[in-house]
Amino acid sequence: MNMAEKIAGVWPEIALLLGAALCLLVGLARSVAIRRFTGWIAAASLLVAGWIVAAQVCNAGGVIGLTPYIKLAVVAVGLILLMVAAAVPVQLKMTRDIEAGREPFEPGLVIRGEFFAFFLFSLTGVMLTADASDLVWLFLALELTSLPTYVMVATSRDRVEAQESGVKYFFLGAMAAAVFLYGFALIYGATGQTSFSLIVDAANQQIAAQGRISPLLTTGIVLSLLGVAFKIAAVPMHFYAADVYQGATTAVTAFLAFVPKTAGFVALIALLGLLPDGYVPPAITWLLWIMAALTMTVGNVLGLMQSNVKRVLAYSSIAHSGYMLVGLLALHGSGDALGNGTAAILFYLVAYGLATIGAFAVLGSLQARGEEAETFDDISGLVRTHPVLAGVMLLSVLSLLGLPPMIGFLGKIYLFGSAIQHGFVGLVVIAVLNSAVSAVYYLRIASACFFGDSEGHTVSTPGISRPLAAGIAAVAALILGFAGGRLVSTARDAGGFPTGRNDVVTTPSQPPAATTASR
Amino acid sequence: MNLDLIKFIPWLPALAAVLCGLCCTKKALRCLAAPICILSIASGFVIAFLHRGGVPPGGAVVPFFEWINIGGFSANFSYFIDPLTLIMLFVVCGIGTLVAWYAAFYMKGDKGYARFFTFVSLFIFAMTNLVMADNLVLLYLGWEGVGLCSYLLIGYYYNKPSAVAAAKKAFIVNRIGDLGFALGIFLVYQTFGTVSLREAIIAAEHVSEPSTAVTLIPFLLMLGAFGKSAQLPLYVWLPDAMEGPTPVSALIHAATMVTAGVYMIARLLPIFVLSPYALPVVAVVGGLTAVFAATIALCQYDIKRIYAYSTISQLGYMFLGVGALSTVGGVFHLFTHAFFKALLFLTAGSVMHALAGQLDLRKMSGLRTKMPVTCWLMFVGCLALAGFPLTAGFFSKDMILAAVMEKGLGEHGQPLFLALGILGLFTAFLTAFYTFRLWFRVFMGPEQYEMGEEHHGAEEHGHDHGHGEDAKPQAASDIKVEHHHDAHEMPLLMNLPLIVLAAGAIAAGYWAEHSGWIESMVESSTAAVHGGESAHAAELFGYHLHTAMMVISSAISILGIALAAYFHWLNRPAADAAARQYKSIVTLLNNKYYVDEINDAAIVTPLRTKGEIFFAIDRLIIDALVTLVGLVPRALGIGARRLQTGALQGYGLGMACGAAVLLLLVLFVAN
Repeated sequence: MNMAEKIAGVWPEIALLLGAALCLLVGLARSVAIRRFTGWIAAASLLVAGWIVAAQVCNAGGVIGLTPYIKLAVVAVGLILLMVAAAVPVQLKMTRDIEAGREPFEPGLVIRGEFFAFFLFSLTGVMLTADASDLVWLFLALELTSLPTYVMVATSRDRVEAQESGVKYFFLGAMAAAVFLYGFALIYGATGQTSFSLIVDAANQQIAAQGRISPLLTTGIVLSLLGVAFKIAAVPMHFYAADVYQGATTAVTAFLAFVPKTAGFVALIALLGLLPDGYVPPAITWLLWIMAALTMTVGNVLGLMQSNVKRVLAYSSIAHSGYMLVGLLALHGSGDALGNGTAAILFYLVAYGLATIGAFAVLGSLQARGEEAETFDDISGLVRTHPVLAGVMLLSVLSLLGLPPMIGFLGKIYLFGSAIQHGFVGLVVIAVLNSAVSAVYYLRIASACFFGDSEGHTVSTPGISRPLAAGIAAVAALILGFAGGRLVSTARDAGGFPTGRNDVVTTPSQPPAATTASR
Repeated sequence: MNLDLIKFIPWLPALAAVLCGLCCTKKALRCLAAPICILSIASGFVIAFLHRGGVPPGGAVVPFFEWINIGGFSANFSYFIDPLTLIMLFVVCGIGTLVAWYAAFYMKGDKGYARFFTFVSLFIFAMTNLVMADNLVLLYLGWEGVGLCSYLLIGYYYNKPSAVAAAKKAFIVNRIGDLGFALGIFLVYQTFGTVSLREAIIAAEHVSEPSTAVTLIPFLLMLGAFGKSAQLPLYVWLPDAMEGPTPVSALIHAATMVTAGVYMIARLLPIFVLSPYALPVVAVVGGLTAVFAATIALCQYDIKRIYAYSTISQLGYMFLGVGALSTVGGVFHLFTHAFFKALLFLTAGSVMHALAGQLDLRKMSGLRTKMPVTCWLMFVGCLALAGFPLTAGFFSKDMILAAVMEKGLGEHGQPLFLALGILGLFTAFLTAFYTFRLWFRVFMGPEQYEMGEEHHGAEEHGHDHGHGEDAKPQAASDIKVEHHHDAHEMPLLMNLPLIVLAAGAIAAGYWAEHSGWIESMVESSTAAVHGGESAHAAELFGYHLHTAMMVISSAISILGIALAAYFHWLNRPAADAAARQYKSIVTLLNNKYYVDEINDAAIVTPLRTKGEIFFAIDRLIIDALVTLVGLVPRALGIGARRLQTGALQGYGLGMACGAAVLLLLVLFVAN
């Protein structure tokens, strides 16, 4: 693929980058009235990007491959996230002081421009991850996703905890990047290539010559998977999640729970796509199996013990990564919706994203004692003071729990169904048990909202956009639970092309992985 | 005719439910809820009516959208339309419109006006999904949906403990039936490999040698039907369900939801005939329920409860009809019953409205001059319920009894059905008697009554009249001050839907039977009974069986009415004397055979004790375990806290070690 084609494919990203640059510029304006436009500029550039993707999809005659699907999802969920995060810069004392005229205008201290620019940069990173056809590209795209989030976490709140968690997130993220970069280097060493399609060719040659891929290539892929596991907060790279999610302001937490995770899963799918079709070395099956089982169990067990709703949702986010890892094992599958792990993961990303953003947005819409609501006490008896938000919270946790008719139920069915078709019955049993355990803390959130005694100190944060976003996410989770057929078939079309190689993958035969796992 | 419009029938009420829900939020919008709700249900009726002739024989599937499609399992929001569905849609949307119209006036001034109509719209949404479902999963969704709405509406007066208890009881008893129903659906999927109604029915028709699993299916499904349609032994929730607002009793607990069980059996008839014992069991349960509930109704004093027991008894008739392979009769009775029972409940609501919540028969008499229209409307309803010749109830009940007797006396006469037929005739006599006992007591005789303790605008419907004196209005602050009123007639607009129902209660039977409409409709649906009905009609006393049964049941109904007139209008002391003479029987019946008490002692109390034991175990063991498990991370946390600045390094170390262990493990162990 030449450069011109490549650039033609990344017009949406270019639109977002231009939007981000414009945000940076406008954010420096002296007049508050002009600075307030930054949020709208971000929204407009997302809409433009969405329009370009839609046009590309129409030209191609459907959502063919994972790239357009991810781009569409990023635009759609990105708009909801933007509504959730729109008020973040305004909540800062610094911004308020300057905008109220209590402090003189100082270009270095206004954050509006930066915040929305970083927001868009990170989304650009996810889209580029989906475009990746080369290891270097993949690395840069992943880092473009993550680096802005470190700054967003650190500057999102007036409290020192935010900076602490931003620094933690940065150092640990850098370490994880080192791990997967090491993996990429090994892959390059084993094949002499960085382009995905050439790596696959080289691996095919290795199989033809020795009957398996070289241990160096396997090690490279294993290390890459382990490093990228940081982005999805999977065990053993999950340690940061609870601290960082708690330290960041809730709107940014919602962002963290969806955006880097999406990039991570896209990268994982791309990395597994480096393996020749239908061939998965036992080491990688084992790795995914163990990571999936540990991640969901650790997430759910630790989720049981929290008294802070944000931490509960952080552990729930870890657990959901575990469920989606199950789908990775069934990556190559038939064209059927059930049995194709890629399609299941793509669908589940949206299902999980809507529900978890809904839950975080409800928390972000509430304040207790001048701080953002985060403990069970803060949301206790919510139904009496904010019935709509309580309803949204209920829908969100029910979807996370995977109760019909919410979208989370369908997502789990597809995910676990694809794993069963590939023979990973044991893992699915673990996953279902985990889902049952998770009911305890999800229902604890719901019952706190509905049956708890309100202490009456919880008030809503000013502004309509955040509760509105929560409502949109939850209603979408409900409606798609009934009418998800279209989304499922789109995910199925998208999942038929599991790598960024942009070439049609024929249906592979039953991978030998299943026999390994059932041992 | 294009069937596309059909799919709007459930979704207009769904939209209405959302809009009514929005109306709840603003006081000024509340009055909009009723028109929205009525309009949505009425348009459903109009759409159904437009399609009355346009349904292809054998039915048609109208796909709406994909819901679940996994591998070989598919359950979509697709609607199955055949004549049986149309009949049900006429009943649900038609009666629904009229009841909602009535309720728009009846509920006026209530705090939860918009909430009420939200639930009613939601109920119609679920109920239409139930009757239109093209697969068992969607049917089950509707089934649970109507159960939920029924729960919400029984507990509508949620600050009244008896209403909340009744709602809970309805919910729990229904769960027992639904468990059977759900198992039945699973078994259908397992044996036939599909949950689609049409495919399952076709598969069932081709079963030549039924296996054990196949013969088990009808019994499991039956359980669900008995729960929803309040048959023995799961009927106990329906009388208590009268705690809900009266329009709800009329719509949900008399005309529509409770008939879902009859509909389900009629719809799945080909599956039920797979077991030779299934339908006879349905018939026996139906027949016994009919007579059992009718005897209880004899000695109740609460108007709504009398009608509730009468509903149970009439539902028994329907099951008897379906069980005797007369689906036409069963569905016909469902159709006519919807008219007259809705009429009876709504007129009872009018009486209650006029007397400020008074429901006790002993505290009212001679209301005919105060409420002439209501009096004669209820009279029409009573005639139909009593099966007075040429009313709607007469034709449908007669069709069922004739079919049962035919099975009893026909060529291969089964004594079981002969017994059930006689039981049915006896029930018809009881029905005529208790129906007119009520009517004569309320409207005839000397005019005297006590007002209840509720006033318009604060309808709390406290009618726990076993100890009526205790019932106090709960929301005293809501009572419109100085609103003194005496028993009075309802406004014409409120009586309008009742007049329509009364017309139906008189004419619907004759019209539906003699135009052949009901028979052709049912016979061209999946409820059709195939082959084998002997052309040879049985004879009774030298007459054609059908004619003979008509004469006998006319006589029986007139006898019942006459006895009721004597005891409860002309010579009331005689009734009291008779009651004293058979005091033990009357007490037994008045206490409903002590079934609630027996259930309490045999099931509820042991379960509660068990629950308390589990709770104690939970407190002692599980809590301790959880505390212990919670202590471990906390202990680790205390350790970690000492290295305050070390948290980041700790995490880094954890990540590195974890990654290293996993790497080594998978590379060396797995390879």
